[in-house]
Amino acid sequence: MTAERTLRAGLSAVAVFAVAYLLPGTLRLPVPLYYPSLHAVHLTALPLGISMRYFADFGLAVLLASSAALFSLKVAPGRASLPVATATAVSLVALDVAYYLSRLVASV
Amino acid sequence: MTPPILFETAARPLLLAHAVLGFTTVGSTTHHAIYALLVARGRSLERQLRRFGWIAPAALCAQLALGLALYPTYRVRVRDAVLDHSAPAVSQLFDFKEHLAALSLALVFAAALAGRALARREGPADPALRWSVAALSCLGALFVWTAALIGLYVTARHPVGMP
Repeated sequence: MTAERTLRAGLSAVAVFAVAYLLPGTLRLPVPLYYPSLHAVHLTALPLGISMRYFADFGLAVLLASSAALFSLKVAPGRASLPVATATAVSLVALDVAYYLSRLVASV
Repeated sequence: MTPPILFETAARPLLLAHAVLGFTTVGSTTHHAIYALLVARGRSLERQLRRFGWIAPAALCAQLALGLALYPTYRVRVRDAVLDHSAPAVSQLFDFKEHLAALSLALVFAAALAGRALARREGPADPALRWSVAALSCLGALFVWTAALIGLYVTARHPVGMP
C-alpha cells in the first residue's frame, strides 16, 4: 500500500469525521442519549434532565470516518491533488472549530 | 442522595491517570509533529516517524478512553452541580475542549498512519505528501495541547471526585 493511498484514506477520514461530528448535534438529530443519573439510554432529539450526547456523536463520527477511510483505501481513492485534498480536510476541521468557538464566545 | 454515577467511585484515580497520560499524549503528538515537519523539510528521520506513529495514537486512544470514563461523573457532579450555576463560561470552555479532543483523534490517526507509510517508502517522497502529513500532525498536536491546557484549567477550578 503506497503512502499516498494511505494519506488519501486518512484525509477522507478526517473530512468525514469533521462533518459527521458537527451535523447531528447542530441539527439536533435524534441520537441515543445517555442519562448518567439513571444509567439509561434513550433515542431522542429532545433531552429531558441531565443527558449526554457526546458518546453518540463521537461514536457515529468514528464509525463513519473509519468507513470512509476503508472505502477510500479499498474502492475509490480520491482524484484531487494532495494539496487540495489536504486543504479541504483541514478546512472542514477549521469549520468545526469556528462553530464551537462561536458558541463559546456567545456564552461568555 | 443521588444514585452513584458510572465509575464515580474510581473518579480520583481515573483523574490522576488521565492527567499523567495527558502528558504522554502531549509529548508524543508534539514529537510526531516535529519529526513530520523535519521530514517535510527533507531530513531523514523515518525511524522516529515510525516510532511516534504508533505511540501518539495509542496514547491518545487511552487518554480519550479515560476521559470518556470520567465524563458521566463530571457531567453530574461538576458541570450540573457546580459550573453551570457558578461559572457557565467554564462549562462551555470544557465542551470546547471535548470537541477539540474528538477532532484531534481523527487528525492524529490520519497523520500517524500516513507518516508510517511515508517512512516505509523507499526513495524520496513527493513534497506535497510530506507537507500534508506535517500539516495533519501539527494541527493534531495543536488541538491536543489546547485540550490539555483547558483540561488543567477546569480541573484546577473544580476537579471530579471532590465534594
